[in-house]
Amino acid sequence: MDPIENHERKREAQRRRGAQRQKAGELRGRVVAISLICFVLLWGIVFVQMATGNDPVLGNSSSTAKGSGHRHRHRARPTVESDASTDSEEPETSGAGEPEVEQFSEEPAEEEFVEPEEEFSEEEFEAEPVEEAFVEEEPAPVTTSQS
Amino acid sequence: MSVEAHRGFDCFGGTATIHVRAADTAAGEEAADLARKQLLDAHRRLSRFSADSELTRLNEDPRWEVPASPLMLALADAVAQAGSHSGGLVDGTLVDAIERAGYRRSLEGDPPITLEAALASRTERAPAQPHPDRLWRTIGISAADATVIRPPGMKIDSGGIAKGLIADLVGAELRDHRAYAVDCCGDIRIGGSAGQERRVLVDDPFGGGPIHELALRDGAVATSGIGRRCWVDASGAGHHILDPSSGESAFTGIVQATALAPSAFLAEVYAKAALLVGPERAEEWLPHGGVVVRDDKAVEAIAVRQPLSEAAVAA
Repeated sequence: MDPIENHERKREAQRRRGAQRQKAGELRGRVVAISLICFVLLWGIVFVQMATGNDPVLGNSSSTAKGSGHRHRHRARPTVESDASTDSEEPETSGAGEPEVEQFSEEPAEEEFVEPEEEFSEEEFEAEPVEEAFVEEEPAPVTTSQS
Repeated sequence: MSVEAHRGFDCFGGTATIHVRAADTAAGEEAADLARKQLLDAHRRLSRFSADSELTRLNEDPRWEVPASPLMLALADAVAQAGSHSGGLVDGTLVDAIERAGYRRSLEGDPPITLEAALASRTERAPAQPHPDRLWRTIGISAADATVIRPPGMKIDSGGIAKGLIADLVGAELRDHRAYAVDCCGDIRIGGSAGQERRVLVDDPFGGGPIHELALRDGAVATSGIGRRCWVDASGAGHHILDPSSGESAFTGIVQATALAPSAFLAEVYAKAALLVGPERAEEWLPHGGVVVRDDKAVEAIAVRQPLSEAAVAA
C-alpha cells in the first residue's frame, strides 16, 4: 500500500469517525432535549394541578371519607401542598416513562371527580348557617318590675 | 326549628309570663301550659288573701306542727332562709304588721297613688333595721313528717319570697328545654340547655320606659320597689315593704332595687335587702350586679363583683 493511499484511508477513517461522533452528539443532544422537555412538562402539569388545589391523591382519600367528619377535610386543606410534594416524587423515581404520562393524562377525569366533592362541601357549608340560625334566634326579652 | 311558646296571665297579684323553647314547637307549648298550671296552682295555695288557701289555713292553725304540702314546706323553709341570708332585713313573718299598715287585701286593680305623691307625703328617710325578735328563726320544717313547725299565732307572708321560690321551682321543671324564662311578676328565672342569652328590661318605677337592660344566660333577676302597692290612710302614704324594726312602710331613699343572682329566691332577697338598707349600703347587697333607682329618679347600675358563673360553682 503506497503512502498516499494509506493517508487517504486514514483521512476516510477520521472522517467517518468524526461523522459518527457528530451523529452520536446530535442523538445525545436530542435525548437530553427531549428529556428536559418531558421533565419540564411533567413538573408543569404537577405544578398546575397543585396550584389549583386538585390533588388527585387527596381527592381519592376524601371521597372515601364522606361519611366521617367533613370538618377534618376542611382542616386538611392546608396540608395539601405537603402531600403534593410526596406525590410529585413518583414520576422522578419511576422515570418519565409512558405509563406515568398516561396516569397524568387521566387526571382531568379525576378533576371532574373532585369537582362534585367541592360541590358537596359547599352544600355542607351552606348547611352550617342554617344550624347557626337556629341557635341564634334571640329569645323574647322579659321585663322585671316591682313585685 | 321550634318557636318559643309564650304565656301571660294574672297571678300573684300581677302579671306572670312564661317563655319556653323546646326541641319542637308542640313540646314548648305543652311545657308552657304545664308551667302556667303550676304557677296558678301555687298562687291558689299560697295566697294570703284567700280564706281557703293552704297558707291561710297554716297561719290560722293553732298547732305547733302543721301538716303541709311540699310547696308549703318549701315556702316555710324559704322564709327562714331569707331571714338568715339578709340578717333579718327580709322578714316574712310580718303579716300582722303589714295588715296594721294597711295591706289587708289584694291591691290588684286598685288605682294607687302616684309614687311621687307617696314620696312627697313622707319626707323622712332612714335605713330599715331587722326586728329584734327575729321570729323567722322559730320556723322549722320536718321533711320526714311533712310538717311546718312554728309558734301558733305566728303568720307567714308569701309576698316576694314566694314569687322567687315559685320561679325557681317552675324553672327547674323547664331546665332541660332549649330556653326558658319564668317571670313571676318581676322575679324571673332564666336558663335552658342552649345557653342562649336573654335580654331583661328593668321597668321604670315612675312609669316611663325601661331604664336599663341586662342580659342573662342562666340565672335570675328580681325587682323590689315601693311604687306598685301604695296606699293612703290617716297616717299618710304607705306601701307594702316594711321596716321590720318599726313595722311601718320603709322610706329609705331607694324606690326600686333590681338584683341579679343564681336563683330568683336569692335575687328577691338581695333586691329587697338593697332597697331596705338605703342608698349608702345598697351596693353591698348586690354582689352579682343590679340597678338601683333613688327617690330623685337617679338610676345607678351596680357593677358585678361576683359573676353568676362563679356563684354557681361556689354553690
